[in-house]
Amino acid sequence: MDQEMQDFAAEARRFLDAHATKAPDRAAVTWGVGDDSMAYFSSLPPEEEAEEVRRARAWQRTRHENGFGWITGPPEYGGRGLTPVHDLLYDAVESEYAVPDTGVLGVVGLGMIGPTILAHAQPHIKECWLPAMYRGDAIACQLFSEPGAGSDLASVATRAVREGAEWVLDGQKVWTSVAQHSEIGIALTRTDPDAPKHRGITAFLVPMDAPGVEVRPLRQMTGGADFNEVFLTDVRIPDDHRLGEVDGGWTVALTTLMNERNTVGSEGAGPVAAALSPEHLSALMRATWTWDDRALRGRLAELLVDAMATGYLNDRAQRTLRAGIAPGPERSVSKLMYGQNLTRAAHFVSDCLGPRIIADTGQWGTYAWSELLLATPALRILGGTEEIMKNILAERVLGLPKEPVTTAAKEVRS
Amino acid sequence: MTAEVSELRELRASVREFLEAKSPEEAVRKLMESEPRFDLDVWAQAADQLRLPGLAIPEEYGGDGFGPVELGVVMEEMGRALLCSPFFATVVLAAQALLASGDSDACARHLPGIASGRTTATLAVAEDSGSWDPALISARAVPDGDGGWRLNGRKCFVIDGTTADLILVVARTVAGPSFFAVDRTAPGVTAVAMETLDATRAMARLTFDSVAATPVGAEGSGGRIMARVLDMASVGLAAEQAGGARRCLEMSAEYARTRHQFGRPIGSFQAVKHKCADMLVQVELAEASAREAARLADEGAADFPVAAAVAHACCSRAYMFAAMENIQVHGGIGFTWEHPAHLYFRRAKSSQLLFGGPAVYHERLLDRLGI
Ligand SMILES: Cc1cc2nc3c(=O)[nH]c(=O)nc-3n(C[C@H](O)[C@H](O)[C@H](O)COP(=O)(O)OP(=O)(O)OC[C@H]3O[C@@H](n4cnc5c(N)ncnc54)[C@H](O)[C@@H]3O)c2cc1C
Repeated sequence: MDQEMQDFAAEARRFLDAHATKAPDRAAVTWGVGDDSMAYFSSLPPEEEAEEVRRARAWQRTRHENGFGWITGPPEYGGRGLTPVHDLLYDAVESEYAVPDTGVLGVVGLGMIGPTILAHAQPHIKECWLPAMYRGDAIACQLFSEPGAGSDLASVATRAVREGAEWVLDGQKVWTSVAQHSEIGIALTRTDPDAPKHRGITAFLVPMDAPGVEVRPLRQMTGGADFNEVFLTDVRIPDDHRLGEVDGGWTVALTTLMNERNTVGSEGAGPVAAALSPEHLSALMRATWTWDDRALRGRLAELLVDAMATGYLNDRAQRTLRAGIAPGPERSVSKLMYGQNLTRAAHFVSDCLGPRIIADTGQWGTYAWSELLLATPALRILGGTEEIMKNILAERVLGLPKEPVTTAAKEVRS
Repeated sequence: MTAEVSELRELRASVREFLEAKSPEEAVRKLMESEPRFDLDVWAQAADQLRLPGLAIPEEYGGDGFGPVELGVVMEEMGRALLCSPFFATVVLAAQALLASGDSDACARHLPGIASGRTTATLAVAEDSGSWDPALISARAVPDGDGGWRLNGRKCFVIDGTTADLILVVARTVAGPSFFAVDRTAPGVTAVAMETLDATRAMARLTFDSVAATPVGAEGSGGRIMARVLDMASVGLAAEQAGGARRCLEMSAEYARTRHQFGRPIGSFQAVKHKCADMLVQVELAEASAREAARLADEGAADFPVAAAVAHACCSRAYMFAAMENIQVHGGIGFTWEHPAHLYFRRAKSSQLLFGGPAVYHERLLDRLGI
């Protein structure tokens, strides 16, 4: 590491020493001690969740005030103007500390929506929202999916009609993560129903308190409600809240989706770290008397091989990035593997636990895994399903031909 | 010493160019059925023009002093080309064993010949069971009373065992498993070629009947040396497997783009497309794990043994998967003798089981992780 990076890391350490405590060593597992929560999605009662969101905002503000809120952002919008490598370095240093979880702000808003606004919004809109977002004041959501447009995102039907200097939005969005906490969202809308489907889309920045925006929680299979339906009824949006060109929204969407693939699968802390940690899994095998089970040992080895190889792939992507070379398909591959690794880990653990995961015995570290188990199906769907990711790898990386679109499908859409 | 990214790229390009010229499929097929199972001229050129045998041998022993990372690049390319050569046995197995033994006399005696390409060598560990577990070794060495040693026993699966000039044998002594150097032409050595699943990698059964042997490393240090050699060898093999897997993927993708059925390229059918994507995922993981393990070996990092175990398991699975799916993507033609797909299939299966196979490498990984 060169001097500049060392200085930066030292500065990060000074900041974190002053504002946070060191995290306990994750590798050292003492069975039965500490928090055994394995929740991937939050399943807290509303008041506690609100408190968590407050803590997340406060920590983001502290980061921002100390120069670590938006390390790669342009200085004119409150960023630090440094490289992605600095960002990675900061994350690595911060992971040694126990800090509030800022996922509610980070995964969608700062990871995906921020870069999209930066790339496509008008300057005064950037000035208004970007500093607020990276200071923790504005949470952002992604209003893309609709009941009829998931994998086939370009089929969005929410309409936007121009009326003078304003646009009027009508339609329904679905599966919108963190919408219940958000100040803004980016919506994809149909502005030209007659154009081929990718060309008639326009993107807007929607203030979530605008009249006509209604957020209704959707209960998910974990029992919690992290995502929502969002109804847009005669929502009036000024034209300067448009992102990109009229009918040019697909380009905007691609910016978000590209950042989505980079963001999903990079979360390594919390239950994810425990579920793939050799120390944790071996402690669990001892506690469940499955230590000697040959079949389970073989599966554990397979699981760890995948998890560790995925880690090597991520390390490689980071080193490539550090060398100033654009990474290859590593990120798409690790997004795919991330979902599979956690899914297999959850089922492996279930098989070690046996009946203890079907009903709560009250034993530490047993039924708690049901929280992760029930979250895993989502990891194979969100941010592009496994099937869609495979299409992307095959078509963009291996150059295989696209699937022909049938005439019938074209007629249905127009 | 590690080369820079651009130097590695150059190394890869020159090795690939060399192998495309010297080890095209026809050459591989011809050598598969000949004895010795490699082309002496090509081997000499690899040594003289590219200095490959000495690449990862320290300069003090006549090599160029590069390390596992460069060795990995060469092995990946050899895996792609299915090169028939004594490189793996000589450079990856035997030379690494000599280096791991810490026996500077033995290194000074044998490594310069290996580095120059004049001496080929191999390692004789496994016996009838094929296991590399030192506890299962029954070959024995005893002092002959004149300061020398005599070796008795039988070894199997010895790569290039009928041609290697120098054979490093692991045998039991009163102090435990120990390494010995044996000259293949020494009286009492019998080498019989074994029929092999993968005909591109020659293997032999060796019998030692009171053969004169020279100790390598301290008596009883065989277990420790073998652990180190197995790590280095499995990383070298992993690179070769990653290279082979990458080649299978390329063949499949190319075929899927051009072969038409039902009026469309077969690659536009999702069943085929997803097969190729699954292969890509495996190949990316394989390359990442093989290269990371080589990097950690180069740095002498404490977690190298773990990474070596991961690389071995990951690349073994990836190659086998890619080799199988490659045949499936090619359909009937993939199952013919004429098509190269089966050569990769054979190499993949043979490599996967060379050091014991999944049950063994899984336990080795867990052991390294303290589980
Ligand atoms: C927890 C969670 C959070 C989410 N958060 C957000 C959010 O914040 N904002 C947002 O906009 N969206 C969000 N989503 C939505 C998510 O992006 C979509 O669910 C996803 O893209 C899949 O769309 P779909 O659910 O309509 O499934 P569909 O597209 O209907 O797919 C159903 C099945 O068909 C398969 N399929 C579809 N098309 C093809 C094809 N061409 N080839 C092969 N198979 C195909 C799919 O892989 C899947 O298995 C979230 C989803 C989840 C689960």
